[in-house]
Amino acid sequence: MSIDMSQFYQVFFEETSEHLANMESLLLDLDVENPSLEDLNAIFRAAHSIKGGSGTFGFTDMTEVTHVLETLLDRLRKEELRLRAEMVDAFLAAGDVLRAQLEHHQGGPEADEAQIREVCERLNQLASGEAPAAAPAGGMQRQARTVYLSCALPAEVVAEGGTLDNLLAALAEIAALEIRHRPDAADPTLSAVLTTLYGDAEIRDTLSFHVAADAVVLSENEVEETAYGLFDEAPAGDPGYGLFDEAPAAADPGYGLFAEEPAAATGGDPGYGLFADEVPAAQAEAPQAIREETDASGAYGLFEDAAGKPEFPAHRKVAPGDAPAAIEGQGYGLFVNAPGGVGLFDGAPGLPATQAAAGAAPASVAPQVPAQSPGRRVTDNPAVETAKAGRRDSDKVMTVANTDTSIRVSVEKVDQLINLVGELVITQAMLAEAANAFDPVTAEKLLAGIDLLSRNTRDLQESVMSIRMLPMSMVFSRFPRVVRDLAGKLNKQVEMKTIGDNTELDKGLIEKITDPMTHLVRNSLDHGIETPEKRVAAGKNPKGTLTLKASHQGGNVVIEVIDDGGGLNREKILAKAKEKAIPGVHDGMSDHEVWQLIFAPGFSTADQVTDVSGRGVGMDVVKRNIEGLGGKVELESSPGYGTRTIIRLPLTLAILDGMSVGVGGETFIVPLTAIVESLQPALADIRTMGGDSRMVHIRGEYLPFVSLAEVFGLNGVQDITQGIVMVIEGEEGKAALFVDELLGQHQVVIKSLEANYRRVPGISGATIMGDGSVAMILDVSAVTRMGLGNPQRTRPAPVEGQMAA
Amino acid sequence: MEITESVGVAASGEYLTFTLGSEEYGLDILKVQEIRGYDAVTKIANSPPFIKGVINLRGVIVPIVDLRIKFNLGEPSYDQFTVVIILNIGKRVVGIVVDGVSDVIHLNSENLRPAPEFGSVLDTRYILGLGTVDERMIIVVDIERLMTSQEMSLVDAAAV
Repeated sequence: MSIDMSQFYQVFFEETSEHLANMESLLLDLDVENPSLEDLNAIFRAAHSIKGGSGTFGFTDMTEVTHVLETLLDRLRKEELRLRAEMVDAFLAAGDVLRAQLEHHQGGPEADEAQIREVCERLNQLASGEAPAAAPAGGMQRQARTVYLSCALPAEVVAEGGTLDNLLAALAEIAALEIRHRPDAADPTLSAVLTTLYGDAEIRDTLSFHVAADAVVLSENEVEETAYGLFDEAPAGDPGYGLFDEAPAAADPGYGLFAEEPAAATGGDPGYGLFADEVPAAQAEAPQAIREETDASGAYGLFEDAAGKPEFPAHRKVAPGDAPAAIEGQGYGLFVNAPGGVGLFDGAPGLPATQAAAGAAPASVAPQVPAQSPGRRVTDNPAVETAKAGRRDSDKVMTVANTDTSIRVSVEKVDQLINLVGELVITQAMLAEAANAFDPVTAEKLLAGIDLLSRNTRDLQESVMSIRMLPMSMVFSRFPRVVRDLAGKLNKQVEMKTIGDNTELDKGLIEKITDPMTHLVRNSLDHGIETPEKRVAAGKNPKGTLTLKASHQGGNVVIEVIDDGGGLNREKILAKAKEKAIPGVHDGMSDHEVWQLIFAPGFSTADQVTDVSGRGVGMDVVKRNIEGLGGKVELESSPGYGTRTIIRLPLTLAILDGMSVGVGGETFIVPLTAIVESLQPALADIRTMGGDSRMVHIRGEYLPFVSLAEVFGLNGVQDITQGIVMVIEGEEGKAALFVDELLGQHQVVIKSLEANYRRVPGISGATIMGDGSVAMILDVSAVTRMGLGNPQRTRPAPVEGQMAA
Repeated sequence: MEITESVGVAASGEYLTFTLGSEEYGLDILKVQEIRGYDAVTKIANSPPFIKGVINLRGVIVPIVDLRIKFNLGEPSYDQFTVVIILNIGKRVVGIVVDGVSDVIHLNSENLRPAPEFGSVLDTRYILGLGTVDERMIIVVDIERLMTSQEMSLVDAAAV
C-alpha cells in the first residue's frame, strides 16, 4: 500500500517539476505590456494542475500557495487586472516557493515558512488590485515622488463633467493632486502635479478607462509648454487619435525583433532605433507629433516602462557605433529597412484596421523621432531580452505536439533496452561470422537473411540510442532565469541568446553539463560583461549579449558560452599567476597558454569576491567536470570583444572512442582522447634514471616509461623493440605507455565494472567487444600514477587469510 | 545465539545444493538467477586469485568467483562440466564457480542444526546451519553475507 502511494508520489513530483519549469519559461517569455491570453491560460493551467495534484496527495501547503497564485492568474486571464512586472516577479517567487515545498515533500529541507507567507501576501495584494503596501522582498521601497501628468482626454469625457470628476477623484485616491489645467472643450488636456507613492503604472491604470496608457504623459520633470501647444493641434476628434489606443498593441508581437534592430538601422543617428517598436504607431500622425515634440524637450522617457520598475534605468542612450553589435547572426538586420514593417506584423491584433484608418499618415514620421524613450519591452524586462520573438510561435507548436505524443518511461527501462540491443548486435555479429563458413551458393537465402538482419539491427541500435538523446534546450532553458536574476543583481543589462537548441545530447551528459555551464554563465555575467556605463564608454551597446550555442562537430557536441564583454586580461592573469607562483609562468607565453592558467585551482582575477563568483573555485572544477565527461574545455578571448568558452563533449557518455591494445593476451581499451601518438621505440631511446626508472626519449622530450604489463602483472613482451610505445597524456602529464601491440580503433560501449564488482585501480570501466568478450578500459592517469610509483604499493594487500574481524 | 536466530529465519525453504570437492553446500534458491557453464573470463588486473575475472552476461559485466580456490576445496579445473551459479545478491549480480550442482531440497527447522563453532576456512558467521537429508550433510551458507563480506573483496571497502 505504502509502496503504491510512493509510486504515485513520484509521478506527482515529476509532473509538478515539469509544470513549474514550464510555468517559469512561460513567465520569462511573457510580454508584460501585452501578455498573450494563451500564455496566461497556459500558466494558469500549470498552476491549476499543481493545485489539483497537491490537493489529491494531501500536500495542503502547496495547494494553498497555488490557490493564491491561481486567484491572481484567473483575474489576469479574465482581463480584470493588467499584468505588471511585479506580478511576474511575484509569480516567479511563488514558483520558487512551490519548488522548495516540492523538495521538502521529496525529503528535502523544510521550505521557508516566512517566505511562503510573504509570497502569498504579495500575491493576495496583487490579486486584490492593490500595490503592496509594504516593501516587497526585493526591497523596492517606494518613496513619495512628484510626477507631472499630462494627457489629452477624449472629448466625451471632457464634455461630461461627471465622468471627469470621477476620474479626478480616482486620481486623488492614489495621489495628492494639484490640477494645473482642468480639461475643457477648448483644450482637452489634463495637466496635473501628483505626489504619490505609486508607480507610473498605477497612475496609468487609473486613467486607463478613458485614456490609453501610452497617451498618458508622466514625467519627473515638468513638461514644457511647447508640448502643450502641440496638443492643441491634435484635437480629440482627429481621426488618427483613436488609432493611438490600438497602435501600440499592434506593435507588440513584433517587439523582440525590433528591439534588436535599432542601432543598425541608423548607425550614426543615435537613438532612432530604440523607437522602432513604436513605428506602427507612427501611422497616427497627430499623436506621433506629440511624442516627437515632447521628446525633443529632452524629456524623460515618455513612454517608458509602464510597469514602473524604478530600479532600472529607463533612459538609455545608444552610442553611435553600436550598430555592429546590434546586427546579429540571427538576421534581424533584415528588418532594418522596413520601419513600417507592416507585413511582418500580419498576426498583430488590431493592426489591419489601424492600418486602413491610418492610410494617410506619413510613414516617414518615424525616422525623425528623436528617441529618448527606449522601446517598452526593453525597459520592462531590462535584464533579459531573450531573443525569441521570431521563434516563439513555432516553439510553442512544437511543445504542444510534444506533450501530446510523448510517454513517460523510466531511464532504467531504456537502458535495459539499449543493453538488449547491444546483445542483439553481438549475436548478429556471431551469426554473420558463423555464416561465412557456408557456401554462398547453397546458403544464398541464409546469407541474404543475415545481411538483412545486420542492417535491421544497426537501424534498431541507432534508434534505441536516440531515445536517450535529449535536445540542448533542456539545459539552455534554465538560463534565462539565471541570467535575469543575476543581471538584476549585478546591475547589468544582458540579453541571452541560444543557438542550436535542438542539438541532441545524451541524457546523462545533459544532466552533468548543467553545473559547469551555470558556472561559465555566471562567470561571463560577473566578470565578462561590463556594466552599462563601462560598455557605453567603450563604445558598445550598453546591453551585453550572452550567447549559448550548441552544435555537432564530427562525433562531438560543441557547446559554446560566448559573451561580448571585456575579454580576459592577459596582464592581470600573468601577474596573478606570478603572485600565486604557478610554475612555468613567464611573459613570453602565448595567449592560449595564458588562458589555460585560469583553469588552475584557486585562480581568480576578480578584484573583489562577490556572492556570484570570484572566489577562484570554479574554472578548475569546470575543467575537471568536463574532463570527467570525456570532454575538453578551450578558451578564446579578445580584449574588448569578449570571451568564448568552448566545451567539446562526446555525443554520449555510453560510447567511447578507443584504441584496443593487446598486452600478455589481454585486451585493453585506451581512450582515444588520451593518446598523443604511438611509435615503435628504438633501444637507444630508452634511458634509465637511478638505475630502475626508465625514460623514453621522444622528439626531444624525456617521458617516463610505463609498462602496462608490469602495472597489471601480466606476461607482456619483454623485448622493447618488439612492442609499441603510446604517448599518452593525462592528469599526470605525458607518459610513454608500453604495450605489446595495437589491435584497432573502436567505438566501445562503456559498462560499469562497479555495478557488480568494485573499483579496480587503473581501470575506468569495461566494455564488450564484437566477439562478446569483455575488455577493460584504461584509466590513463591512474595507470601512469601506478607505473611511476612503486607498482607493489598500488597492488591491493593480499586478501587471503585476512579474516574480516 | 545469533546463529540460532538466523537458522530460525532461514529454516524453511528451498535450497540449491552444490558440491565443492567432496563437500555439499546449500544456498537459498531465491538468490539464484541462473546456472550456466564456464565461459572464457576476462582477467582483472591485481585481483586475488579466486576472482577469476568478469564475463559478459547479456550486456552485464559479472565478476566470477571460484569458491574452490577461495576455500581450498577440490581441483580448480575448467571444462564443459564446470558450473557457474549466477547469484542475485542485493542489486549485484555475481557468479560463483563450483564443482557441480546436485539438486534442490527442502529444509525445515527439524533437519537443520546450528554449526558447531570451530575455526575453519569458512567462518561460521557465514554458515546458517547444517542440514541433514538422506544421511547427507549439507552446509547451508549465508551466501549474501559471504559475497558482500570484506574477505571476498567483491565490493569496495567503503561500500561494506
